[in-house]
Amino acid sequence: MNYYEVTGGRLEADVAEARPSFLFLRRLARRRLALVGLVVIVVIYGAGLLAPVAAPYSFTETDFGNTFAGPSLEHPFGTDRLGRDLLSRVMWAAQTTVIVSFAAIITGGLVLGVSLGLLSGYAGGRVDNVIMRVGDAFFGLPDILLLLLITATVRPRVDNFFDKFDDWPVLGGLIDSGLPDYVLVFGALALFGWVGMARIVRSQVLSLRETDYVMAARAAGARTPRILFRHLLPNVSNIIIVALTFSLGAMAGTEIALTWLGIGIQPPHPSFGTMIFDASGLSNLRNHPNLMMVPAITVALLLFAFNLVGDALNDVLSPRRR
Amino acid sequence: MQGLASYIIQRLLWAPVILLVVSMATFALGRYGPGDPVQILQGQYRDPEVRERIAEELGYNDGFFQQYWRYMSNFLQGDMGTSLTYQGQPVEDVIFPRLWVTIQYNFVALVLVFAIGLPVGIFAAMRQGTWQDPLLISIFLFFASVPVLVTIPVAQWLFALKLGWLPSGGWETRDILGVEIGLLDKRAIMPIVILTLPGVAGVARYMRAQVLEVLGEDYVRTARAKGLTEFTVVSRHIARNALLPLVTLMGFALVGLLGGSIFLETLLGIPGIGSYAFEAVFNRDYDGIMAIVLITSTAFIIANLLVDITYAFVDPRIRLGGGVGAQ
Amino acid sequence: METRRLVFVLGGIVVVLVLVLGGLSIAVFSGGDSDGNGGSDDGDDPEQVDLPERVEGELRLFGPEPVTLDPACASDAGSAEYMVEIFSGLVSFDRDLNMIADIAEELPTKENGGISEDGTVYTFKIRQGVKFHDNSRQVTADDFKFSIERALNPDTLSTTATVYLDDIVGAREYSRGDAEEVEGVVVVDPYTLQLTIDAPKSYFLAKLTYPTAYVVDSREVGDASCFAGAEWTLQPNGTGPFQLEEWELGQSLVLTANQNYYLDPKPSLAKVTYLLAGGSALVMYENDEIDLTGVGVNDIERIRDPNDPLNAEFTENPSLDTYYVGFNTEEPPFDDPDVRRAFAMATDRQVLAEVVLKDLVLPASGILPPGMPGFNEDLEGLEFDPDAARELLDDAGGPGALGDIELLSSGRGASVGPIIEALVAMWEENLGVTVEVNQEEFGLFLRDLDEGNYQMFDLGWIADYVDPQNFLDIKFHSESANNETNYASDEVDALLEEARTEQDEAARLELYQQAEEMIVNDAPWVPLYHGKSNALVKPYVQDYLIAPFVIANLRYVSLTQ
Repeated sequence: MNYYEVTGGRLEADVAEARPSFLFLRRLARRRLALVGLVVIVVIYGAGLLAPVAAPYSFTETDFGNTFAGPSLEHPFGTDRLGRDLLSRVMWAAQTTVIVSFAAIITGGLVLGVSLGLLSGYAGGRVDNVIMRVGDAFFGLPDILLLLLITATVRPRVDNFFDKFDDWPVLGGLIDSGLPDYVLVFGALALFGWVGMARIVRSQVLSLRETDYVMAARAAGARTPRILFRHLLPNVSNIIIVALTFSLGAMAGTEIALTWLGIGIQPPHPSFGTMIFDASGLSNLRNHPNLMMVPAITVALLLFAFNLVGDALNDVLSPRRR
Repeated sequence: MQGLASYIIQRLLWAPVILLVVSMATFALGRYGPGDPVQILQGQYRDPEVRERIAEELGYNDGFFQQYWRYMSNFLQGDMGTSLTYQGQPVEDVIFPRLWVTIQYNFVALVLVFAIGLPVGIFAAMRQGTWQDPLLISIFLFFASVPVLVTIPVAQWLFALKLGWLPSGGWETRDILGVEIGLLDKRAIMPIVILTLPGVAGVARYMRAQVLEVLGEDYVRTARAKGLTEFTVVSRHIARNALLPLVTLMGFALVGLLGGSIFLETLLGIPGIGSYAFEAVFNRDYDGIMAIVLITSTAFIIANLLVDITYAFVDPRIRLGGGVGAQ
Repeated sequence: METRRLVFVLGGIVVVLVLVLGGLSIAVFSGGDSDGNGGSDDGDDPEQVDLPERVEGELRLFGPEPVTLDPACASDAGSAEYMVEIFSGLVSFDRDLNMIADIAEELPTKENGGISEDGTVYTFKIRQGVKFHDNSRQVTADDFKFSIERALNPDTLSTTATVYLDDIVGAREYSRGDAEEVEGVVVVDPYTLQLTIDAPKSYFLAKLTYPTAYVVDSREVGDASCFAGAEWTLQPNGTGPFQLEEWELGQSLVLTANQNYYLDPKPSLAKVTYLLAGGSALVMYENDEIDLTGVGVNDIERIRDPNDPLNAEFTENPSLDTYYVGFNTEEPPFDDPDVRRAFAMATDRQVLAEVVLKDLVLPASGILPPGMPGFNEDLEGLEFDPDAARELLDDAGGPGALGDIELLSSGRGASVGPIIEALVAMWEENLGVTVEVNQEEFGLFLRDLDEGNYQMFDLGWIADYVDPQNFLDIKFHSESANNETNYASDEVDALLEEARTEQDEAARLELYQQAEEMIVNDAPWVPLYHGKSNALVKPYVQDYLIAPFVIANLRYVSLTQ
């Protein structure tokens, strides 16, 4: 996680120039790099979603007679220190990434950022001031440190609370899958992550607010929510599409960082974070490079693909830059 | 400029409010979360009687506001408490040398990001439509895509093991006029490279977009018709419009110091603020955590303010606070 | 006007860029200068990374960061490693694990009158001429009284002093603040110290080898506690074989030889530098930045290969520790010894030690590690037998009757590691039981152990002193505070209590062996393995011995070059 991802500054710079356009899908199709990126995303996400049926082995199946095996027909990517199949583990890890990405979007940095940005830009004045100053405060906090602290101190309580419902039919299954953990971690992340998005949306709304059609809507007696969601939201949707693409990629990266810190995915579910953590370190890389390189290359490809697609979207959604 | 003065005053008034809320939240998270620093220090030896006595003596059993007030009033008098990671050492003795280490290599990396990103972005824009533009941008996008937790061991493997050019980590300082400088040692190179590479793409893409926009403007065509070179026109425009947001970017990049440095410093064994923050949370080093949060938040508030003031100073047309059409 | 501002801003940016880039290139160049122009011609040889200048007689190590260097506060092995070099006490262990007199003139025994007939009064003659590092004055019995009382003083806030010192009569009362002084510590004359303990405990001397009983300089320590005022530990005035020259927090720790050291052999190394931060220790070793390093599970196979250049520099030595899985013996399902036995017998320690840990450890069948007095080589323990294990479990109701089983593990980071993963896989395969793993950071782990809020856990125990009491009594006596499994057996308690005061050494060890056998059979622990310390040592480092636990080791080491 470098500083631009952390601050969202890159995002802000990237999408500040986006303008409404409806032809973007066709334009996107003309960009070969972006298409390659899309294919990569589909393949990795698809492998993840199909892991329960398509993975050749279970992610916990050990084989102590065949540890650290190199690539072979039975194990195309080799096996790890317990003789587990790396291909299967990577597929399951991809599934974790898919779940995490959606958990992140549901819990909301994006939702929070967009709505607060809309409100701040449209209402202006004191509301704007409060939202933006609160945003400054969150923006300025050492987020990773506080995230560590929040999960270290709050999570045990949340877990204890949810343990009570462990035996409930549907809820119990969800709890076992670690969903409360995801929601907590990404909820905390959203607390620090909404500011960048809100700023972008706000600046966009500021410039739209005085345009004729919003004036007209207001003159015609439209109420604030209606103006916000019917008139302003569609006009910032391009920004949101681009931001969504980048943040899906960023989430996959964030999962690795958080897991490495011990605040993300809990074992035994494999994730790219746990796989890289297990194999990271110089001596691992030196003696068993495939343990590290298999998940690392997969996740780097995924992030790269998201960046390529996001970049292309950003270009085509901005008419002046065609 | 009168608007500027009142704006600055308004922002300054917000600062203590923000710090108050932040410090209280951090304090509460530490004190009311599970995990007891005395127990951690006692380790596997269980002696609840002794533990309880020490907690009482250290004031951990006092009321929240009493503890908070005691800490903050000491803090404001320059006493940041004592560390539990380095048991019994004053926090300020631990934190400031480490902060200085982190600032050194991060600052160089930040400058390099812009020093490489700006020309790359301009070059890519000038070459738009050729293969050079997407290739260049994609290369740096790729660097930005590899998680830093992968980059670090790979860089160690490459530079320390395969090539043998650099030590695999650590931090050595030299005393220069009484200041401990670590940048003059080879060990500083790896963290700087690892921080710089992924950052370039963001700046380069931003710059490229700006330049492309200028190239499309009417006045560039006019200027060209008048015989001015494309370079002159573009650089003038960039100086006027693009540098301001860059200042913002630079300012905000400061905040990221801590986040990124946790990984880098832990894996490369650099005694900076990030590795201390990591340890402090796990040791429930209450005073250490508070000091880190307060210092970084204060630094950010100041940086943010400076960025906004610079903005207003360089371009007085920018209206402050409410933005367009503020009531 | 506006143009001028722009020029100003742009100019500023250019100046900053030039400064920083200039500085960086100076950094690169000066880095090249300092390695004696050797940078360019051997770039591809990893042996030739630029070496920091080396002092004659300097040993360079990679070490853990100490939490504290105040002996009264010692609680972790990482800190104790430095304390035993800088400070010293009445008695200590030599490198063959024999107890020796240190600042005491001779070991007190009943024969020489040092221990009273009833075994409760210890009289120590203090060696004449033992001086503090600053050479200012001699150590006397008063210094010991001061140091022991300081460790126990409630104002010192030591978390562990009572663990090591509360056999002394009056120590508890004093540590609660109910007494003016520790009754059992008496200065007879400046060079005679008398310690009285509450019962004849033959392991008492061994406990005095721990840093809590070491001597500190009263003039320097002042009223520093474990939680404040520890600045003095940056320049401590000790009595040990080495003197702390410098401790740069997070960077390095430098020891120099104590010229006036009183025991033989005297330190031969002039200087010992510990690097406290850095990348990979093995790479540092290979690049000649350090003289000694441990080897991890990833590199061990390569280094065991006789063709590897590092192979000749490798040594290993068992250490005094035991890693185990413990059960909550008070709550179902693990209150049933048969269920515990089933889990023990479904655990293949051989595979664990050989396949998963690449022979870095020795499989454990009992509680005591090899090298500990009383270690029972013939103890068979509960051997791996999946069929019998399954049968035991079926008799106890089968896997279905167990309910959800959770293993509590301590750690931070993404993964519980290969050992736990392998255990879970073994139990799944051999018993058909799915064990969930709950990984918690150390602080929460300790709290849950403390509150009995667990079913099973994994942990290790490292010897503090060389006596079976340190394992068996502390971990399995039903009234011991450190008995996390809450194991309680009247018979075992009786044996352990008898062993405490048994004066005949052979009979005492026999008692411990009996107790161990009963404990292993009741299976509150599944002993997994005993660690081995291993190291790569440069050929010019002479007589380095990997100690099985923390002892002052550096004074034996010398360099030839």
